[in-house]
Amino acid sequence: MTTLDAHSALAGEPVSTVPSRFGRRSITQAAIAAAVFLIAMFVLPALTSTFWVKNFTSAAILSIVAGATGLLYGRVGLVSLGQIALYGVGTWVTMRLGFATDWPYPVLVLIAGVITAVIGVLLGLPALRLQGLYLALVTLMAAAAFLVILADTKFPTGGPGFKGLVVEVTNSDSMRRPDVAETDFGFYRYVLVVAVIMFGLALAHLVSKPGRAWASIRHSEAAALATGVNTTTYKLWAWGLASFMTGIAGGLLAAHVRSPSTFTFGVEQNIILMAVVVMGGVATLWGGVVAGLLVAVLPELLQKWGFSSEWSLILFGTGLFANLLITSWQLDKAGIKE
Amino acid sequence: MLNTSQLFPFLISGLAFGAVYAMSGTGLLVLYRTTGVLNFAFGAIGAMGANITWHLIEKTEWCPDWLAYVACVVVSAALTLLYGVVFAPRFANRDPLGKMLGTLAFALILLGLMFNLWRSQDARGFRLPTGTRRFEIFDARVTWTQVVAVLFALLVVGGVTIFLRATKIGTAMRAIANDREISSLLGVPVRRVETAAWLGSGVLCGIVGLLLVDLFGSLDMVLMTWFVIPSLAPVLIGQMRYLWVTFFAAFVIGVVEAELNASNWGWPSQYRKTTAYVFAVGALLWFARKRTIMISGRATR
Amino acid sequence: MIEVEDLTVRFGGVTSVNQVTLTFPAGACGLIGPNGAGKTTLFNVLSGFVRPETGRVSAFGDDLLAMPDYARARWGLRRTFQTEQAIEALTVYDNVLAVYEHTTKGRAARQAAVLDAIGLVGLGDVAFARVGTLSPRQRRLVEVGRAVVGTPRVVLLDEPGAGLPEAETEHLGAVIRTIPDQVGAMVVLVEHDMSLVKACCEWTAVLDFGRLLASGPTAEVLRDPEVLKAYLGQEELQ
Repeated sequence: MTTLDAHSALAGEPVSTVPSRFGRRSITQAAIAAAVFLIAMFVLPALTSTFWVKNFTSAAILSIVAGATGLLYGRVGLVSLGQIALYGVGTWVTMRLGFATDWPYPVLVLIAGVITAVIGVLLGLPALRLQGLYLALVTLMAAAAFLVILADTKFPTGGPGFKGLVVEVTNSDSMRRPDVAETDFGFYRYVLVVAVIMFGLALAHLVSKPGRAWASIRHSEAAALATGVNTTTYKLWAWGLASFMTGIAGGLLAAHVRSPSTFTFGVEQNIILMAVVVMGGVATLWGGVVAGLLVAVLPELLQKWGFSSEWSLILFGTGLFANLLITSWQLDKAGIKE
Repeated sequence: MLNTSQLFPFLISGLAFGAVYAMSGTGLLVLYRTTGVLNFAFGAIGAMGANITWHLIEKTEWCPDWLAYVACVVVSAALTLLYGVVFAPRFANRDPLGKMLGTLAFALILLGLMFNLWRSQDARGFRLPTGTRRFEIFDARVTWTQVVAVLFALLVVGGVTIFLRATKIGTAMRAIANDREISSLLGVPVRRVETAAWLGSGVLCGIVGLLLVDLFGSLDMVLMTWFVIPSLAPVLIGQMRYLWVTFFAAFVIGVVEAELNASNWGWPSQYRKTTAYVFAVGALLWFARKRTIMISGRATR
Repeated sequence: MIEVEDLTVRFGGVTSVNQVTLTFPAGACGLIGPNGAGKTTLFNVLSGFVRPETGRVSAFGDDLLAMPDYARARWGLRRTFQTEQAIEALTVYDNVLAVYEHTTKGRAARQAAVLDAIGLVGLGDVAFARVGTLSPRQRRLVEVGRAVVGTPRVVLLDEPGAGLPEAETEHLGAVIRTIPDQVGAMVVLVEHDMSLVKACCEWTAVLDFGRLLASGPTAEVLRDPEVLKAYLGQEELQ
């Protein structure tokens, strides 16, 4: 039986000040991010050709998709193997509206983002009762079904009707770009700015109330409910945000390649994306940037160095494998079983 | 207007593909229940084996065809066993998703290797001896491969059922599938049983690889690698638990897909390739109606 | 005050809680019983993780079973878990803040409230450390801090002392005893360590095989021969 007085037991200095969330580490991070952005914006285009700038544009677009997928997996604990299908939705909507209207390009992309988010949330509503492997599989299966339909429907080419297809495709039937970014270099910078905005949006969520709710959900359903988090709402919120980002990226792709092909939207792309996302790391948003570069630039680099671009598959596989081995070893060391 | 003579030939091809789904499903299911690993490299391993068979038939003088076919099964079993014995144990502390990601990495590596060893644009393929011989029933041409596929599927699922019930190692498998930790405490030789499961599922990989080349009429390694995705559909319908449900679901999917191909029913026929996925998504969502709350991976009591 | 009336919970063929009727008065109450007696199940019913087959549960006059699980935390029902559930990825401050912002309307005074709770459990010196870097004792206290922030009405503690050395349990006991007075919430404590129950709880209920064995003032209940029989061989009761 303890005889300790309650107050004397309460050791530790009382705290009265809360350090700013923008402490030293955050400032360093922000400085690195700013430096990377400035180099990508101004130094990189000066050093390279149109060919490489196009590849870096793809990398920036895919880094948004990868960032969204990584955020879901690393910060909320939700696995989506269907992100490429939502990416396709974003592209399709942008193309269709682009041909049907003369609305400014940013409006098209924004609408594509919103529609993709709505579709993502509607599909997520039943799927989010599942967890882990089952969630991964249901998203993969849904994406596979959707991509079969997309491959048949094809991207709009300026024709009438819902599908918007014309038989004779000419060069003029491609997606327009914004006036400020007509050239490949201009569009590259445009994409970079949008990517920064998207990552900023994700970051703003992570450091505030939703970020803390997601951390609880990722820890366990029980922890989340003890926190008072409405898990359904916050899971859907994360799902919606990731779908929105992915839809925006789809909109960017439409104007990047101008006449996208459904061949690039195979079901296996979902799996390759997951591999590079895990390889790039899901603990921070930087992983998304790394993943984007890996998937869009690495195959071209390999080809330039005289290897076939299929070596990238081997490298992605090995990278994913290495990442899993290291994290498993860390779990082992900490004596944790997932 | 539909008539049976129109639908019947497609029934045969549907049953054949259903049989392949059933064999893949059995291989995936038994391995998952025994080891906790959902093997995403199932298709890639079979494709690797089939490529080696093709290489032996077309590029070497000395190798008789029958040996080339055997090589497919042996290589597939060896690759599966390699992964199962060397790599899978390193991911023992991961959740099922982490374990699956490991096999996914293996699939990507294999696919990349195949691309580099045998360039994909070459039109390649081989026929099994059963593939060139046909007979007719009710105006439908049937190859012996199709017959063999269905018989083999029956043999496999029947054999596995008997194996699980009647043999010592089968009983051990069921025990592990039921409760891994308790089984290991009771002295079930977990590692040995797991190795057996990897081996068995590897042999199935090889057989499925051979049959797919013949049924598709060509050796398409990308198609074969990702054939694992629709193959998961019957496993999911069987709740990753019930072998015979998986078996019948596989045939239903195969037949529905083929019959949609035969008939002209507007959009269902147009999008027939979604059959397996639609079935799987429907099943998953149906089984997920009830929510259970998990505390650190265990359901609350 | 919590009133449980005719509560039955079944899992398949197992009856985990069997027609239990009991009342926890305000203050600090103990809930004890051998393993498998249904203590945690009762907690899970209170926090909404498990739906009972029959029965009513009300707390301070409000029907708990009518509320969705996440809304119970907002009503003022908080709990800790047998397997501690502090969120490793966040700092101590953010752990407590997360509960506060999801259970309390309006943003006023949130810093002060969060710091008060951290001070109450004695974690002031590690308030901005990530929970992943803390010791097991500190993690338990983070969970208690999460349970007392803001305006809780009922705090359920599920074996907070499990696995802690004696000296650390004493500190924990001191923290628990301050909750009714300083925070204004009633406490229900599930614990195997009888010294902790004796030190903290004026009132105790005993469950055995899902049935209520006894309830009343702690000292009386622990002398009850029925209770002693259920605990036969467990020396802590002496």
